[in-house]
Amino acid sequence: MRNDIIRANEIRAETMMAMKLIRWAVMGLSVLMALRSSFATTSPWEQPARVLAEQIAVILGPGQAHLTIRNLSGISNDSVPTIRKLLEQDLKARGVGVAEDESANSVRVTLSENARARLWVAEVVEGNVTQVAMVQLSSDEEQHAKTASGLNLRKEALFRSNEPVLAALETANGLVVLEPEQIVFETQGPDGWHEQSRVSVGQRRPLSRDPRGILLPEGGAAFEAWLAGTQCTGSYEPSPAPGQWTASCQPSDDPWPMTQFEQAAVPVKAFFNGARNYFTGVLTPNIGVDTQPFYSAAWFPRAAGGAALVVGSIDGKVRMIENGVSKQIAGTRDWGSDFAVIHSGCGAGAQIVASGSGEAAGDSLRAYELPALEVIAASAPLDVSGAVMTFWPAPDGKSAFAVVRSAANEYEVDRVSALCN
Amino acid sequence: MFRRFAISFLITMVTLPMAARTRPHYGGTLHVETEGDPWQRPDGIARRLVFDGLTTLDSRGTVQSALATGWETDSGDHRWQFRLRAAVHFHDGSPLTATAVVQSLNLDCPANCPWATVRAVGSIVVFTSDAPMPNLPALLAGDQFLIALTVTEDGKASNGNIGTGPFQVASFSNELLALAANETCWQGRPFADAIEIHAHRPVHDQWLDLSIGRADVVEVPAETLRQAQQQRLTVLVSPPATLLGLEVADTGTLSNPMMRAAIAASIDRSALSNVIFQKQGEATASLLPQSLTGFSFLFPVDRDLNKAHELRGGLNTPTLTLSVQGDGTMKLASQRIALNLKEAGFNAQEVNPGGTPHADLMLRMIPLEGGEPSAVLESVSRSAGTAAIPADASSASLYKAERDFLERHTLIPLVDLPKAYATGARVRDLALHADGMPDLAGASLGDAP
Repeated sequence: MRNDIIRANEIRAETMMAMKLIRWAVMGLSVLMALRSSFATTSPWEQPARVLAEQIAVILGPGQAHLTIRNLSGISNDSVPTIRKLLEQDLKARGVGVAEDESANSVRVTLSENARARLWVAEVVEGNVTQVAMVQLSSDEEQHAKTASGLNLRKEALFRSNEPVLAALETANGLVVLEPEQIVFETQGPDGWHEQSRVSVGQRRPLSRDPRGILLPEGGAAFEAWLAGTQCTGSYEPSPAPGQWTASCQPSDDPWPMTQFEQAAVPVKAFFNGARNYFTGVLTPNIGVDTQPFYSAAWFPRAAGGAALVVGSIDGKVRMIENGVSKQIAGTRDWGSDFAVIHSGCGAGAQIVASGSGEAAGDSLRAYELPALEVIAASAPLDVSGAVMTFWPAPDGKSAFAVVRSAANEYEVDRVSALCN
Repeated sequence: MFRRFAISFLITMVTLPMAARTRPHYGGTLHVETEGDPWQRPDGIARRLVFDGLTTLDSRGTVQSALATGWETDSGDHRWQFRLRAAVHFHDGSPLTATAVVQSLNLDCPANCPWATVRAVGSIVVFTSDAPMPNLPALLAGDQFLIALTVTEDGKASNGNIGTGPFQVASFSNELLALAANETCWQGRPFADAIEIHAHRPVHDQWLDLSIGRADVVEVPAETLRQAQQQRLTVLVSPPATLLGLEVADTGTLSNPMMRAAIAASIDRSALSNVIFQKQGEATASLLPQSLTGFSFLFPVDRDLNKAHELRGGLNTPTLTLSVQGDGTMKLASQRIALNLKEAGFNAQEVNPGGTPHADLMLRMIPLEGGEPSAVLESVSRSAGTAAIPADASSASLYKAERDFLERHTLIPLVDLPKAYATGARVRDLALHADGMPDLAGASLGDAP
């Protein structure tokens, strides 16, 4: 009994000590986080404040000045006191004291911006002479990423480019990027992507205003690229040595392989209209049904076995071709022109992920299931920061890739995958 | 006011490219109506459909290749060479050559050009000048330097309407310009099969035609933007794309810079913006809008009548002649300016621009083309006779160049104005160029077959 009491006291003491340690650790962490937060908040303004203060001090020389700050920029007004404090400190360090009251000299700082960058302007007034100093800040890049609830789609940015991207193919340590007129080989280093090689496609005919292309792995380190009127083959090696990237292209009007995760017994190919932005509707081998011209098509596994071909026609309708019969699918009004089937393993196992239609305010991707002839939304829309230009499944069919063009005409390759609930 | 422009800019720039996307359809005829002449310079709506420049500006105003695929300069920007795109043809089938480009540029710019000489060397176009030309690639994207065929392959003079652009002229009669898609356009065939431009159509009639489906794209002058919103038209609004400016001659009485400064101080810009342009413009005293520079507030817009009187110094000046480019709203603006000048002791009499080639004062719209502030400054100042070129690309140099130019008071900035167009329900993917003009070649029709 006594031993039990001693043991209980020992346990209580140990527990109290542990709780104290935890409390100290939490307090320490809080202090560290507060310090880190404070540093992170002030650090973006330190450098421009220093540069501007330096310019002001050169104009004014040592002395006193009255400082006013106004904010015409997108900087939060909460940050203005911090900026003011930094300016005061930097001015003081250069011999310019900030007077509380009206002074013969005054400095009017305007936190401004133009379409490209932030601009801080100081109007330095000495008597009736006004001189101007200014410093340009690099603009912030804001990341917007929101995932949906339910079956969640998530996206991960892989690659960004200022050039249009038609397709991309992941390799062991790099990326093959298909542009309208070039194939680009990229490798990833610790500091981002590095272009290794660039091969001209040698396009001989004018490109469509909405150019399209596909990249397919061909086993080993080989790949195939298809563009309007051109077919390319190439190879990439695991090593990033520039000499080991090769690609050669030749004119070709051959049908394109259907990139959507192959479910058919015989691989189906589709003829592409090189002067437009869609497939002609002619498939080879013939699947027994006349198909209208279409933007996208994908094989979708059916619950009863086998697969149906889902076709997004240029008239905006989506049809399912199964057993030699073509039927219109309902519920696709919100769909854009591009979709892909992903075998997520969630729900029924496979979903169609479609881009948004032109009727929505912003573009998005959304997963749908297709139990019968009407699609059922399986996820909330995943907003993307731009317009989905093209969308295709990964070679393993479990995820997909999207090319998103931002408002600033920058292209981002995103991997889109599903998380089951 | 700036905030409204910023919001309009954001709405226009953000919603268009970021709108969800169904691939554009090919086919159909786009019906466009315009109050002016579709061929007029600098912003005739047909010009950019039929002609291309050596360079072009993307939606952000950044210079991109067009008929030239690349360009190089020497270290001092005194000599530029532009390499021409291969296998480009004019609409009549004749090939685009460096010689054809030089002939077109010489016709476009007989005097006061950004260059001293332009010549063809093989497939390369070479520009030279004693003065540096740092902004030449951006300037060549301007409307005035679009390339037209001047001499056909058989040596005859062209009608001036043959270009390399996405559309070619099919016919022009009874104010109706019919354009057909250029199937072999180097930029890719446009989505629409044809565009019909109904010229010299009053704005009221344009809106009526839009409401009954006879027009797909119509003009919305800045002063009617509010009315268009009230009528729930679908309107695309550009960021500031035009500067309303008063050119002041530096001859006679006005050779005295104090007189010119007095004129600048006497004009009530806010009244012009608020009353004449119905608060849809931005009163400005700077050549470049705030969205381009971020420092336009350094040039105060407030009217200072006392200063105007002080600068005039009680001198009696002869009646000044005032000419106006444009009708309607521009006439109203000039009348208000004449009233402002009278209050400052100046008498201004409106004259017909055709009858008086060198009026003392000229009220006109100046295009603000592009997103490179230095190039826009050069373009605007050059249009007023003196090119202001910053020493380098920094904001401080840009400010200094603009301030030095404005202190001459030979061009008085008054109001920045947007360009706006209303579209019908079947128009898809219509965006505005950096100069505020609609990119009709990139638009498609939702009900196209």
